[in-house]
Amino acid sequence: MMQGWHTFFMDLVEQMPLILHGVGNTILLGVTISVTGLIFGIVVFYLALSHNVIVRSCVKGYISFFTGMPLIVLLFLMYYGLPSWGVRLSPFVVSVIGFTMNIAAYNAAYLMSGYNSLDAAEIDAAKSQGFTPLQLFKWITLPQVLLLSVPALSNQVIRNIKDTSVAFLIQYTEFFARIQELAASNFQFFKAYFFAGVVYLLLVSLVVLMARWLERHIVIPGLHRTLDRQS
Amino acid sequence: MIKIRSLVKDFDGHCVLNGVNLDVAAGDIKVVMGASGCGKSTLLRCLNRLLDVTSGSIHFMGNDITHKDTDVRQLRQQIGFVFQQFALYRHLSVLDNVTLALRKLRGLSRADANEKASFELEKLAMIDHRHKYPAQISGGQKQRVAIARALAMDPSMIVFDEPTSALDPIMSREVAALIRTLNEERVTILCVTHDVALGKVLSDNVVFLDRGEVKAEASFDYLCHDHPDAEVRAFFGRGESR
Repeated sequence: MMQGWHTFFMDLVEQMPLILHGVGNTILLGVTISVTGLIFGIVVFYLALSHNVIVRSCVKGYISFFTGMPLIVLLFLMYYGLPSWGVRLSPFVVSVIGFTMNIAAYNAAYLMSGYNSLDAAEIDAAKSQGFTPLQLFKWITLPQVLLLSVPALSNQVIRNIKDTSVAFLIQYTEFFARIQELAASNFQFFKAYFFAGVVYLLLVSLVVLMARWLERHIVIPGLHRTLDRQS
Repeated sequence: MIKIRSLVKDFDGHCVLNGVNLDVAAGDIKVVMGASGCGKSTLLRCLNRLLDVTSGSIHFMGNDITHKDTDVRQLRQQIGFVFQQFALYRHLSVLDNVTLALRKLRGLSRADANEKASFELEKLAMIDHRHKYPAQISGGQKQRVAIARALAMDPSMIVFDEPTSALDPIMSREVAALIRTLNEERVTILCVTHDVALGKVLSDNVVFLDRGEVKAEASFDYLCHDHPDAEVRAFFGRGESR
């Protein structure tokens, strides 16, 4: 048994540069899609507040479509399907676009939930002061909705990190792809996947720690106490 | 300053304001009273175009603000609005609540905006609370901040929508005294309320709005004792015992 682990670790050390490169790619993709997913999610959320019924319906359709469609289908559609239309994109670009569309839909839904808990009187107050819709969104709505949505948004970042493993199916050489190669080379599947699980757990733990720190430090003073009293 | 004529506001066939006429002179304090749901808040919302009127006219400083070419943002900056539930921006400190519009709408630097806001907060005895957040201060203090926020924009007039309905009796009296003080400093005020005690403190002459119509405009004593309509006498009689 110990002999098996020893062999596995020897192989692991040998392939460590490639594995570390894979971890780097995982982090690169995780951070990129978390940022782009948040930015695009904010844009979708802004459009969801539009007075125009057509725009609102389109946004509703977008959110339903991308939260309903499995991510793997979307990635395969773009990576294996688009070349038949003459569009060839790199695995990284496909991953960023595909994940962003998917994450933005979820983030927009979280932000809408946060928006529903806003005090409507504040919106009226801002309008009555003369703020334009964009100014109102920028200075009143968005800051509050982001603050209220920190737990949901940080959970989404955790999900993003874990979901990056799906990208290996479209040839993106992230951490899990490297682990697959390692497992295939020495047939130590259990050990390889166990090791992968531990590494993902460490990455996610790091994000959890950062998220909890953020939740503790970015709060509206006195507000949570008030909400607790109300409930 | 304000001349409202034949104002009608209809929500999907439900007429909330039905031919309202009202005048507010510069430097005046006008109190509009009526039971909940009589159209008081709708009247104020029409005044700064939070709602569009169905028909009729509202002249503010000589201009018909119901006209589609009205610069609504400019209008809103001239009419300070103090809401029933204070409506402070809860993610901003007291100071930032007052400075936000000064910085973003008036283009003042942070230092200038802070100076102006501090002046108003000092006047309303809220300067020591400037770094607190809305959830950390009392209802009466929130109302003072809301008034400071309105005053900071140097509006031509301030409208109050049920300013004491969310306050206890002691705080209500404080806010009533504050509104009177503002008016003594020549700030034009239009206040809508169903609180008879507040109406009595603010003005001798009140407008009674009932089911979207101005039913009476007279002195408080007349409405309370001598008005021919028993319903009106009963409404204003509620404040007698206070």
